[in-house]
Amino acid sequence: MKKAGYAYPSLLARIGGEWKLYLLAFLFILIADSIGQIKIPVWKGTFIIFPIFYALFLGVLTGPNTLKLLDNQKVKAASGLVGVAILPFVAKLGINAGANLSVVISAGPALLLQEFGNLGTILLAMPVALLLGLKREAVGATHSINRETNLALMQDMFGADSPEAQGSLSVYIVGGMVGTIYFGFMASMAAATGVFHPYALGMASGVGAGILMSSAVAALSEVLPAYADEISALASASETISGIDGIYMAIFIGIPLCNWLYRKLEPTLGRITKAGRRDAKQAAHK
Amino acid sequence: MRIKEWIFVLAIAGLGMMTANFIGFDVAFLDSLPGVLVLLGIALCAAGLSAVIPLKLPTVAYCSILGLLCACPISPISGFVIEAAGKINFTAPLTMVGAFAGMSISNQLKSFLKQGWKLILITILVMTGTFFGSLCIAQVVLQLTNTI
Repeated sequence: MKKAGYAYPSLLARIGGEWKLYLLAFLFILIADSIGQIKIPVWKGTFIIFPIFYALFLGVLTGPNTLKLLDNQKVKAASGLVGVAILPFVAKLGINAGANLSVVISAGPALLLQEFGNLGTILLAMPVALLLGLKREAVGATHSINRETNLALMQDMFGADSPEAQGSLSVYIVGGMVGTIYFGFMASMAAATGVFHPYALGMASGVGAGILMSSAVAALSEVLPAYADEISALASASETISGIDGIYMAIFIGIPLCNWLYRKLEPTLGRITKAGRRDAKQAAHK
Repeated sequence: MRIKEWIFVLAIAGLGMMTANFIGFDVAFLDSLPGVLVLLGIALCAAGLSAVIPLKLPTVAYCSILGLLCACPISPISGFVIEAAGKINFTAPLTMVGAFAGMSISNQLKSFLKQGWKLILITILVMTGTFFGSLCIAQVVLQLTNTI
């Protein structure tokens, strides 16, 4: 993923362009970590709100749609900073994996096979998307968890204006807004059922999206403190594998399966509801 | 990014981490320092490797593998690395990530509000499907291989 040229002519130009972002980030750290964690018991589990959520929320408020502290150029710069700021965290997870290497190795077969869990996404979400009246958008929306690489892939394969890329973009946007909170909550609920082993929960957290994984691992470590090290070790291993094979999973398995399911299900499931029939007519007119 | 820029931005991330570790967990800056330097060092090497090696792997993959190598039992510095990194609380590096991540999607707030309930529901199902898909496979394979 090398880009031609540099984003800034020099380090000073970078500081000049980004100092506001750094300052806001420190301000948000002061606020968010002063509030600390808030735990709300839900059913047998706990809904935990971490400082990362307040920081995320405050960050969203700074943008051109609301407080207008940042313009679109700075928003773009911030997305580059996410990629850098997450590296120390990833290094920490890697260290946890190294320190618990025997656990990671003993879980090797499970680690590799659970990569196919992505198929659960398609089987669960595609039929519902069709029932709700989505057409080709459904392929983009449900082919994977739709983080940055997947979005780029859909735009590359189908074109940026295609319904497939639009579907992918929608899930990307909604996922960015609600995913961090939902993913951690879902993980702690899954733990509360008592059905799943902490190792399996750790592996399932590494889905190829750093911020989602961190939210799930933070929540799981809080509800299963005795397994915190193993959970983060396995999440890290799973995340690393997903980061490497995720795009191939999408190209060779996810998208073909979506296309096949779409051909099979759209003529039936996609026409049951009024919205589905109406949208089918619109799609045919295009 | 040039090396100078990497060092600068990582140093900012390090400061953010120490601040969060101090405010949230009462760990003094000096106690956090060795751990922060270890994490930043690994991150910087990962950035370097990703620039030098022509494979199209994400930088995070190098970073995670380097961290694993530094801390695995055959590494001569594993004891120091594990202890130093242990001083950094798990969520301390994340607050700054959240702040930047929030800023980076802040221009999508309008399109988010326009998406409507259908896409919110589908997104929730997409996340649930991925998580539980992996979870069920992992659970079954762990049981079949007698790991748990």
